[in-house]
Amino acid sequence: MRFGRISKAVGVAAAAALALSACAGTSGGSSPSTAAAASKSGGSATVVEVNAFNTFNPNTADGNTDINSKISYATHSGFFYIDNKLNVVRNEKFGKMEKVSDNPLTVKYTINEGVKWSDGTPVTAADLVLQWAAFSGYYDDANAEAKTGTSYFSYAGDPTGIALTDFPELGEDGRSMTLKYSKPFADWEIAIGGPGIDIPAHVLAKKAGLADAKAFVDLVKGMPRGDAKAPKPANAQLKAMADMWNTGFDTKTLPADPNLYLSNGPYIVKGVNQDQSLTMVKNKDYNWGPEANLDEITVRYIGSAPAQVQALKNGEADIIAPQASADTVEQLKALESQGVTVEVGNQLSYDHIDLNYTGVFAEKNVREAFMKSVPRKDIVDKIVKKLDPEAKPLDSQLFVPDQALYADSVKENGSSAYQDVDIEGAKKLLNGATPEVRIMYNKDNPNRADAFALISESATKAGFKIVDGGLGKSDWGKALGDGSYDATIFGWINSGVGVSGVPQIFKSGNDSNFNLFSDPEADKLMDELIVTTDKTKQDELIKQIDQKIWASAYGLPLFQAVGVDAYSDRITGVKYMPNQTGVWWNFWEWAQK
Amino acid sequence: MVTYIVRRLITAALILLGASFLVYLLTAASGDPLEEFRASSAPNKQQLMDARTELLQLDTPAPIRYFHWLGGAAQCLIPFANSCDLGKNIAGQPITDALGHALIQTLTLVTGATVLAILIGITLGIITALRQYSTLDYGVTFMAFLFFSLPIFWVAVLLKEFGAIGFNNFLRNPEIPIAAALAIGAVFGVLAAVTVGGEMKRRLLLGGVVFMFAAAVLMYFSATEWFKNPGLGPLVIAIAGVGIAFAVTLLSAGLKNRKALQSALIAVGVGLVVYFVIQPLLDQATFLMIVLLAIAAVLVGMGIGYLMGGYDRGQSMRAAAITSFLVGFLILLDRFMQAWPAYFNNSRVRGRPIATIGASTPNIEGDFWTLSLDSFTHLILPTIALILISLAGYTRFTRASMLEIMNMDYIRTARAKGLSERTVVMRHAFRNALIPIATIVAFDIGALIGGAVITETVFSVRGMGFLFLDGIMHVDPNPVMGVFLCVAITAMGFNLIADLAYSALDPRVRVKA
Repeated sequence: MRFGRISKAVGVAAAAALALSACAGTSGGSSPSTAAAASKSGGSATVVEVNAFNTFNPNTADGNTDINSKISYATHSGFFYIDNKLNVVRNEKFGKMEKVSDNPLTVKYTINEGVKWSDGTPVTAADLVLQWAAFSGYYDDANAEAKTGTSYFSYAGDPTGIALTDFPELGEDGRSMTLKYSKPFADWEIAIGGPGIDIPAHVLAKKAGLADAKAFVDLVKGMPRGDAKAPKPANAQLKAMADMWNTGFDTKTLPADPNLYLSNGPYIVKGVNQDQSLTMVKNKDYNWGPEANLDEITVRYIGSAPAQVQALKNGEADIIAPQASADTVEQLKALESQGVTVEVGNQLSYDHIDLNYTGVFAEKNVREAFMKSVPRKDIVDKIVKKLDPEAKPLDSQLFVPDQALYADSVKENGSSAYQDVDIEGAKKLLNGATPEVRIMYNKDNPNRADAFALISESATKAGFKIVDGGLGKSDWGKALGDGSYDATIFGWINSGVGVSGVPQIFKSGNDSNFNLFSDPEADKLMDELIVTTDKTKQDELIKQIDQKIWASAYGLPLFQAVGVDAYSDRITGVKYMPNQTGVWWNFWEWAQK
Repeated sequence: MVTYIVRRLITAALILLGASFLVYLLTAASGDPLEEFRASSAPNKQQLMDARTELLQLDTPAPIRYFHWLGGAAQCLIPFANSCDLGKNIAGQPITDALGHALIQTLTLVTGATVLAILIGITLGIITALRQYSTLDYGVTFMAFLFFSLPIFWVAVLLKEFGAIGFNNFLRNPEIPIAAALAIGAVFGVLAAVTVGGEMKRRLLLGGVVFMFAAAVLMYFSATEWFKNPGLGPLVIAIAGVGIAFAVTLLSAGLKNRKALQSALIAVGVGLVVYFVIQPLLDQATFLMIVLLAIAAVLVGMGIGYLMGGYDRGQSMRAAAITSFLVGFLILLDRFMQAWPAYFNNSRVRGRPIATIGASTPNIEGDFWTLSLDSFTHLILPTIALILISLAGYTRFTRASMLEIMNMDYIRTARAKGLSERTVVMRHAFRNALIPIATIVAFDIGALIGGAVITETVFSVRGMGFLFLDGIMHVDPNPVMGVFLCVAITAMGFNLIADLAYSALDPRVRVKA
């Protein structure tokens, strides 16, 4: 009996051992040596971003967030990119973009031979046509009120410029495309073709049931421009392609189908860990643009700024660009002793005070008196100096200091009259009057509240009666331009590159011209500006407009928001960038020490 | 009983409806969803605002939007139809997908912490109750309240600074100066002297022994760079195993039960033999295998107890099963320590193992042991933070409940009839003290899913808390409602379970229909 029991036990044990070894992993032991060898040749870096990646198409209304654009920027190339001095830099190795004629404005795009997607398919004019179709909204005939027609591509950018073109003329070789504008368009240089040709036409065409990219070109070639007044039934194939373009690239994980993340740039996405990280490795074929140093770039998502700083300190991150605050900058400066480099710079967004051209400020003298009483230096000292000790008040309505022309423009635009508070001068202009001024601002934003307090104190000295018209976070935006206030403190974002934003704010009757500034001469200059295709002439015009705005006592720019980035001593080549591309702008120069 | 449950479920559904309506309206009214575009100078500002308006259906009044949302949500009730529609977030991702992912993230973060907090809290509560008004009692109470009142974001940041950054710096050159070793040893000595009860002489003696032992161990660790190449080895496992065998027998059967003690010791012996045999198998471990091995360990323990026989087989089986499970755990721990150098030197880890953010090192490759260590090094800090702040509740609650029970008449009766103190505490008091705890635990499991918003933010885990905050930030009710639904349903479900469990556990309480 006993033996029986033991032998049974042995039997059970043997069976169990078999079962266990059956469910054993096949990968016996780790192999750290190979991994180490791989990362030495070109190195790797971990970059921290705030938001999580969610689509391979950053052009759609839903996908248009900074992180998606950055990933797209690293994995695609085009005719140009923008450097940290806010210049448009051409990438001639990718192809040529040339202005063939000024009247009518004609631009020819030619992609170089050998430029290809990571599946081996060449990048052709069809890819450009797809981008043109998406960006221009050429085929849309939707009428929102009548609920008729079709809206194909849901593009987040501004279609007005590209919409001035007709169906492009395509070259024989299939690599060139010529766009003819019906009237000159100032921002033609950045309208299309970069910084990345990001969606492959041949993939979309196949998904829509077309044979190849050529079939797509043939399909759209024959279609007329969409007319909202006379909507036509939707073209099923184009609609299928557009739907794919709108949502087909949305994903939080790496798609099983590699066609959904084809690269034609320095890097290609290798892995996506939902809401945690994304990894890119070098695109082996790529030789049509600046060559990248690192073999691998990993992006990790960390929302809170202190957590980013600690991750950098702990070596989990190499490059960070947290939201700048006094605490964050201080914490980062403390890391400089362990080899971290901290770069503090200006961002394109800036705070300003605008005076309404109605009510008490209808008179120029009153506006001027008010502007003389705004303590711009104190505001900068109180709000920005603790982040950036070298900060100065912004002295131009249209340029930022990162642009070469800022210094020139500031000399002549008349801002020098408002450098220091001039209470006496203001009193003289007011001539004994005590106008009541209601200032509207976002009172949930501490910087704006501080600015209001300082302005209010100083303006009261000059004889103004200041009324606190501050509104909560969710209300102030709606109040813009409704005439319920006399002055407002809020922020604009300078576009950095391109001039389309200028008339938007400063031209009479435009959407974002909240204070009803109107100057016929400035209007004329702006009308000229948006049809001027020559950069030098544009700059000249902007300088003149800047002068006009200052001369009219429009209001005052106060200060630029401060940005910060920091990187560990493992990495070199990171350079500060004021616009929303951030440190990514020269990712190819990053290298591991 | 059934009518009671049905009635509760119907009430729950009504509460859910009312609360969700309220939450939806509050979220929709919490801000201006178009704020980011208001001050934009983009030429296509209007177009962007229109797109956002259409996406969030802002042209429909919020109460009507709620019913639209409810229509989609109601489809979740149809079983197997897979037509659940909780809407999409601003990035166009279906909420059901986002919820699924966030739920996993949150559960990974909080499950371990909650289980450990419950175990440690209840243990501490019982010990402090048995030693009421002792130094230990005051000490634990003080610490519990101290941690309870600390803000978690601050605790978490400190933990990251010292537990991760500081410890990783230390690991670069893991030398403990003799002064530090002595100081740490002294701390342990004092703790031991305080913890152990009895006369002053006994306390001092024990404190002294612990002090010397701890200091010696630390110096040994420092000299052998143990922190870089940790390990237990069969000898430590044997000594610790014998200790475990005695402790387990003491608690589960009493040392007088010789058969039980022998079973436990045999289990330790078997464990040691297995330690050598199983190493090659462990090299190819998978998670499933570890689970199976754990079950096997328990079964082997039970087998040993069964074979030992005696008048009360059950006690022997229990003692041996628990012992062999714990010895198995030691073997597992030893194997993890063996894998430590490989993990430490992994090119992705670069000699800084304790992480401050996320759930894993991106792109890390390796076997089961490396990957598991990676999870542990990422989870350890948030787990400690969560345990510290939730310990107080469990400790105090158990202590109070235990004290109340210990003063009951039936405890006096048990003592009077000559039962040993062990039996009185473990059988008569402890079990009854657990009844009210059961309800607390059930509540806490309900709160667990929505609970760790701040911890998630500090440790950069994109779980339910992040989803919720992100929804609020964008004035987008869909994610908020998704989180609300999950949390509300679990909370109400576990509330019901707690009530039912209470009536099942405590014969004095009966559910009336």
